[in-house]
Amino acid sequence: MMSQAQAIGASGHANVPTATGIPNGKLGMWIFLASEVMFFTGLIGAYIVLRLSHPAWPGSEGHLIVHIGTINTLVLICSSTTIVMALAAAHRGATPAVRWWLLATIGLGALFLTIKGFEYAAKFSHHIVPSTNIFWSCYFVLTGFHALHVLGGIVFNTLVLAWTRDERLWAEHAHRLELAGLYWHFVDIVWIFLFPLLYLF
Amino acid sequence: MASSSQSPTKLYLMIWAWLAGLMLIGVFLSELPIPKATIVLIVLGLSSIKATLVALYYMHLKMDRWVLALVALVPLVLIVLALSVVFAGRLVQL
Repeated sequence: MMSQAQAIGASGHANVPTATGIPNGKLGMWIFLASEVMFFTGLIGAYIVLRLSHPAWPGSEGHLIVHIGTINTLVLICSSTTIVMALAAAHRGATPAVRWWLLATIGLGALFLTIKGFEYAAKFSHHIVPSTNIFWSCYFVLTGFHALHVLGGIVFNTLVLAWTRDERLWAEHAHRLELAGLYWHFVDIVWIFLFPLLYLF
Repeated sequence: MASSSQSPTKLYLMIWAWLAGLMLIGVFLSELPIPKATIVLIVLGLSSIKATLVALYYMHLKMDRWVLALVALVPLVLIVLALSVVFAGRLVQL
């Protein structure tokens, strides 16, 4: 029987020789992430320009609870660690461990979205919506797009988790765990910058 | 700091500790009565260190082919250019 370590190395499209020496899927994911960096740079850049144009920003009407943001940041940092642990387990051929680490990553992603959902609900209950003022417009756009990316990552991770349940599918798709991990780490990096910009300054 | 020759699990846990620690330092510093511009520079500097740690060790750029590092660097160069345009515009206004 082929071990998972062999599976990752020899599976599907991952081992097809390429001009760069990098599997096409991995190179494609990095190029996609580069475009995503530009997407979030546009949004964050707009936020910084608007903020610099308003010296009193955000004022008493733009208050976010720092400890909630801190907890959510810790949750995402932990989830980045759990998914890299899943990849390490895959390289050892330990599929049950891959499943547990992936499950932990999905759970932490869901926890992040749940906490964000409670934050949104609290704002809505105080009649704070995207049209309240420019700060809240930026807050909901930035965190909303980030949350959509977290959701996308959860779906990707869930797909990979589903592939681990079937030996044949896992042998074919194991290399996609690395791609899911790259995407998930990107989502973490975006939050690493959003958290201080929105909550701390 | 961390060395790639260590066992991956130990390395990943060490990076996790750095990420969590740097994040908590940033939160703590933001509560101190320090001029805002200084805090912004320090905390965003800490965020850049954290992002670099994630990219190098969790996304394996440190161990991967240099072509991937180039792909990752392209948007960073564009970000610097974009910020230069934004801040040049503000300087002209002044």
